[in-house]
Amino acid sequence: MSSPASNVDPKTAELWDKGHYQYDVIATRTLGYFMYLLSDGMLFATLFAAYGVLSYQHSYFGGPTPADFVKPWYTFVQTMALFLSVLAYGFGMNALKNKNKSGVISGLLAAFVLGVLFLMLDIHDMTHLASLGIGVATSGGMSAFIVLTQVHATHIFFGLIWILVMMAQVMTKGFTTDVVGRLLTLRMFWHLQAIIWVFVYVFVYLWGYMS
Amino acid sequence: MQVKWRNNLKNGWRYAALAPILLLNGCAGNPYWIFNPKGLMADTDLFYLILDVVIMGSIVGLTALLVIWFMWRYQKGKNRGKYDPTWSHSNTIEVFVWGIPIIAVGFLSWFAVKGTFEINPYNPTVITNHMKPNGDPVEVDVIATDWQWLFVYPQYHMAVANELVLPTHTPVFFRLTSTAVTTTFFIPQLVGMIDVMPGMRTKNALESNNMGEYQGIASDYAGAGTSWMTFKTKMLSSADFGQWVQKVQQSPTSMTYTSFNHYAEPYINVHHKVAYFSSVQNGLFDHVIDEVMNGKTWSIPPMMTENMVAYMQKQDAEHRD
Amino acid sequence: MLVDLAGGWNPMLGRLAWSQIPYDNPILAPLFVAVVIGTIIILGLITYYGKWTYLWKEWLTTVDHKKLGVMYIILGLVMLFRGFIDGLMIRTQQAWAVGTHSSGVFGATHGYLTPFHFGQVYSAHGLIMILLAATPLLVGFMNIIVPIQIGARDMAYPYLNALGLWITAAAGALIMISLFVGDFAHNGWFGYAPIFELQYSPGVGVDYWIWTMELVALGTTLGGINILATIIKMRAPGMSWGRLPIFVWASLSANVIALTSFPALQVALGLVAADRYLGAHFFTAGLGGNLMLYTNLFWIWGHPEVYFVILPAFGMMSEIFPTFSEKPLFGYITMVLASLAIAGVSWLVWLHHFFTMGAGPYVNSAFSVATMLVGIPTGVKVFNWAFTMYRGRLTFNAAMLWAIGALFLLLIGGLTGMMLAVPAINYMVHNSVFVVAHFHSMLLVIVYAIFASVIYWFPKVFGFKLDEFWAKTMFWLFSAGTTLVFVPMYMLGFMGMTRRLDYVFNTAWHPYLLVMEFGIVVYMISVLAFFALLYVSIRDHAKNRVGADAWGTSRSLEWLTHSPVPFYNFAVLPHISARDEVAWRRDNGIDHVQPDHYEDIHMPNNTGVAIILGGLTFVLGFALVWRIWWLCILSLLAIMALVIYRSFKGDPGYIITAAELEEMEKDAMCREAQIGKQHYRVGGGVLGDAIAYERSDLPPLASQPGSSVGLGHRS
Repeated sequence: MSSPASNVDPKTAELWDKGHYQYDVIATRTLGYFMYLLSDGMLFATLFAAYGVLSYQHSYFGGPTPADFVKPWYTFVQTMALFLSVLAYGFGMNALKNKNKSGVISGLLAAFVLGVLFLMLDIHDMTHLASLGIGVATSGGMSAFIVLTQVHATHIFFGLIWILVMMAQVMTKGFTTDVVGRLLTLRMFWHLQAIIWVFVYVFVYLWGYMS
Repeated sequence: MQVKWRNNLKNGWRYAALAPILLLNGCAGNPYWIFNPKGLMADTDLFYLILDVVIMGSIVGLTALLVIWFMWRYQKGKNRGKYDPTWSHSNTIEVFVWGIPIIAVGFLSWFAVKGTFEINPYNPTVITNHMKPNGDPVEVDVIATDWQWLFVYPQYHMAVANELVLPTHTPVFFRLTSTAVTTTFFIPQLVGMIDVMPGMRTKNALESNNMGEYQGIASDYAGAGTSWMTFKTKMLSSADFGQWVQKVQQSPTSMTYTSFNHYAEPYINVHHKVAYFSSVQNGLFDHVIDEVMNGKTWSIPPMMTENMVAYMQKQDAEHRD
Repeated sequence: MLVDLAGGWNPMLGRLAWSQIPYDNPILAPLFVAVVIGTIIILGLITYYGKWTYLWKEWLTTVDHKKLGVMYIILGLVMLFRGFIDGLMIRTQQAWAVGTHSSGVFGATHGYLTPFHFGQVYSAHGLIMILLAATPLLVGFMNIIVPIQIGARDMAYPYLNALGLWITAAAGALIMISLFVGDFAHNGWFGYAPIFELQYSPGVGVDYWIWTMELVALGTTLGGINILATIIKMRAPGMSWGRLPIFVWASLSANVIALTSFPALQVALGLVAADRYLGAHFFTAGLGGNLMLYTNLFWIWGHPEVYFVILPAFGMMSEIFPTFSEKPLFGYITMVLASLAIAGVSWLVWLHHFFTMGAGPYVNSAFSVATMLVGIPTGVKVFNWAFTMYRGRLTFNAAMLWAIGALFLLLIGGLTGMMLAVPAINYMVHNSVFVVAHFHSMLLVIVYAIFASVIYWFPKVFGFKLDEFWAKTMFWLFSAGTTLVFVPMYMLGFMGMTRRLDYVFNTAWHPYLLVMEFGIVVYMISVLAFFALLYVSIRDHAKNRVGADAWGTSRSLEWLTHSPVPFYNFAVLPHISARDEVAWRRDNGIDHVQPDHYEDIHMPNNTGVAIILGGLTFVLGFALVWRIWWLCILSLLAIMALVIYRSFKGDPGYIITAAELEEMEKDAMCREAQIGKQHYRVGGGVLGDAIAYERSDLPPLASQPGSSVGLGHRS
């Protein structure tokens, strides 16, 4: 016997699967999507590292620093918009448990509207900065500030498109395995973006405001 | 450095290891710059190199012999060794398999840390621990441009381009920066590499007791002119060095902040030109760092990238002596 | 146009202009003509033989992990060849341009390449070899082997798998087109700050470099997720973690690295792009940028990437040594632990790529010790392979020779790696050709392991063995080339020769450079031997046909199913009872027991979406390089539309009924029984029905002596 790991008696061993072995499709997809989110988290971690390196006083090069233009209350409204959007999505997913189509749709719709509000506030913020003459080319510190926040906003943008697609799919296809799987993965995505936003809000906006 | 066994080990192994190579090269001098150090820093580096090769080499060599022996002994059909189709585990062997690398790595780590401090470019203890209290170190400010070296001697208010001249038996301390891109300062027989970066200051040091001429190299890719960005390093006796300083100080050209702006423009030193500047405006080194941090760049014209051919012809025509 | 550019720009074509086509370049113009003629011939042949439908249906739209793996490997081999030609060009320039009196042609002062062109050649060489040759080759093997080894029908996400391949292929296309449209980066494959900034690299070369790497990073991340999910979720019943084949463990460790480290590369290059496209100041020397940040971010990915490519190679060696030693792998558990340890430590060592950047002695010491720690698990692996041979019964066929070659190269690379890990030594040889020789030793471990695996797993995928004589000839030629190139390179490193010199100022180095030039010619001959190997093997495929257990001493699960592997892998999923399942079944005489009844199988449909998305990412990359903004937006919108379309359409898959399955299995078993007896027509498997071997005009093999080649497993 050259197979040290086996204690199975070859005479009675089961050689071929008879148990109709099935993979859990949704669990497999969720795992894969979780791993994608892991890599997305690494992406933000790297951006935060870059921001950390480029947020010393000399990185702003005598130019404007976040302390000059960050309005904590404005960003707090953004935070609330995003958090409520996640909450609304959660209500939608609750409705999914009861196979309540209209509940899911209204949850997604509320999440979408609040997400759009978040994005509009962000765009307004950026245009305001641009009107002050502040942009990525201002200084290393501002490059890091703007790129980090706008990469997050880009995630939100694609998330919103995804929410629209899912609303259409729930309406046209109902709760098929595919659609339920996507609703689950979208929920993970949306949650992660909110979690990342916590870090952005604390370490970029609030920290920048205070320093 | 002062320990005798280290020198014995170094010299012994150096000649043992190099015997075949040296024989091949006959009397042409030793081309193995790394094995033929002429300064304290490079000398220390060689000690660690030999130590590491002796330890790791013996392990790796024995492993290679072991593999070859197994290959010979257990070849199919030769019946030299016993075949055991189930044997795949042994706690004793596992202990050795993990133990040998752990011990070797632990031992080498201790030396690695020790060596890092000895030749730390900012404070190399091989030099600083043995400096005479009133010994007179030479300071050199190195400014790398695209693609030349400027060596400023602040103590003598003078500068030399593309040639480094230093006295023996004297510690030399470098401060280094660059105007445009990153490259590396390297004199194989005297001192190891240190990066030279724009807007930043690094340091290095060397001390040599051997007169002679040694090659200096820009060892990191800095653009089209890197291969020609070499410089000769001359180690002179104190008296000769004094004379050389006087010679440079009689040069008609000088270096100011303004003329540096022109000097730092991209130039490929194909003809290995050396230039002497009898005086240098004070604080040039810090001024260059400030300028670069303020966003000053000496851009590469597109002509020196895609259309190198035309550029080389133009420069050739302008500068052929 | 977002930043000021040195050249022209217009809204229609961006920076693209006729002057960007190097039609006056004496090297590129003839190459371009040759490529065009070659393409026309290939396309013409496909049309002539009417293979377009076959190509589209069986290959370009496939989601079968084996075919995707084969295409990954073909892509990798093509790029390996391109990278090899770059290597030949580098060696020729350095052997030629030595000393002030060396001649120059084609506008170069010395040699035949101008400095900027030389920079592009070695940058392309490095990038291609690591990201577009080694990576696709290894991903290809993982793609083919991992699902079969764990007893799965396909990867967890077959469509994503196809997408990963086509995005990687798009990256390959992008770097190839940089030969003929515009130029490539000259800043080395890892780039330096701030030389890649617009001020120092005004052309499009750096942009090609950025977007090629971004696409590979995307493709590899997708592939990594897929392989991880497959290993975690798709194992056959009974395939517990303790029974997982060692190559699967290596793939798992490698892809954990890929998944976590590639985002760092994407960010590093994304920030370079922000600098070049938006005028940001991440890595500029002035205005608050930090150029050392780039080096850190890049190598935080770059070092794990090195282990991402070496770990699967270790896994391959761990499969090959036991098979040809005819006994189980020594120390399975420590082997697994060593793989995971290497993956873990890979995150803690990135700074050793720039010990000379001027970090303090405390930082350098810490990273030096961490780097040496890698030596422990690697050393364990070498010892374990040695003790796998101990008390074995060794067959030195071609696969084993390549694997042993890899082992010896690993010893050399390990020795020199331990030297480089000590800062005191590193200061003298960093940025010298010694480093180049060191990492080529390590990457050649991968190349050797890959060729070993090509020989080892070829019969599993295609159903016949490669020719032993030519495989061995290639091995010896390749090894001669390795010796002739890299021994002088190590010697030059000790002479102080630095890397990336397009003009060699010291004539004392000339003899060594000439030996290296001779070595690369020997390499060239070994490439010809490889072509001969393929030609001879395909010509003689009929007599080299094999059954399920191609080597007769195989151990892991992939050898349980037929060779070539049917597209559904296993008609009935095996129930796993042992670590080396096939060896266990063979030893207990139950290796020919077949399932007694079949059930319906659900399989995914082919899809053209993946290749179209790949094409669109290529268009997006090209538009970004040349700053053709309308095309960027258009291709981005098209990508989004296609993704949404696919998500609505979904894939219901299709069913292979039990009856069809039984029919196909009968055929396969019938073929297997006939091996060495007479000629038969091969259908199914990776090549499908279209390339069946219809050589029934040949005499039956039974009449030839020594025709029982394929019956090794009965001996």
